[in-house]
Amino acid sequence: MDVEVDGSRGTAVVRPEGRITMVNAADLRSAVTEALDAGGAMVVVDLSRCEFMDSSGLGALVGALKAARQSGGDLRIAAPTVQVVTVLELTNLNRVLRPHESVEAALRDG
Amino acid sequence: MTADLGHGLTATAVPQALDGVYELLESVWGTHADVLPEDRTLFGIAVVEIAGNIVEHAAAGTELEFRLDVRVYDDRLEARFQDGGIALEPDAVPTELPDDLVESGRGLAMARAAVDEIEYVRIDGVNHWLVLRRRRG
Repeated sequence: MDVEVDGSRGTAVVRPEGRITMVNAADLRSAVTEALDAGGAMVVVDLSRCEFMDSSGLGALVGALKAARQSGGDLRIAAPTVQVVTVLELTNLNRVLRPHESVEAALRDG
Repeated sequence: MTADLGHGLTATAVPQALDGVYELLESVWGTHADVLPEDRTLFGIAVVEIAGNIVEHAAAGTELEFRLDVRVYDDRLEARFQDGGIALEPDAVPTELPDDLVESGRGLAMARAAVDEIEYVRIDGVNHWLVLRRRRG
């Protein structure tokens, strides 16, 4: 999982690839913690290369969102695939994890 | 009525089994190009969640094998799971969505929302799950 931190802007981009399931959901959570610890309070999770997410992956995103907010920052998601949009909608989590069309849009939008 | 009987797997109920379940579904779609993307996505979400439920609750860290068979019919998609693990306690697994900022307990509710039927029965010490989605279009 790629983690890119821009300490001067206080932003971070986390890029998981492939499937995020019970197998590796903890890795996503760890990556966000790593980004927050490195000074990236505004974390964008770029989901453009995530082909499948299960409820464990959603749980990891929710946990990461809470961790970001507790650090005084925020977590946003960008470019989710159709499958990820579907699981967000099925669980109503699109209310708290509103998809942004790109990483740039996620960083720009309020 | 036609049915494809050729897709199934037996696996140890550990998290990595979910990869096998996903790849089985990919192979099913590879031989059934006529199944709509929406049906594939929603059926796949439910099937992977039930597999995850077996890993988490039926095996619960013990050694357990499960069987999965997937069938594509003209009008519906069916997945049938069997395992000899721990019985599902009706109150142990939430069937409604938790609050937005709760980190777990969404799996079964999400599976139910994705397909038309999720059935669970326990017969002679064996858990049986049926996931059924009626095909759209």
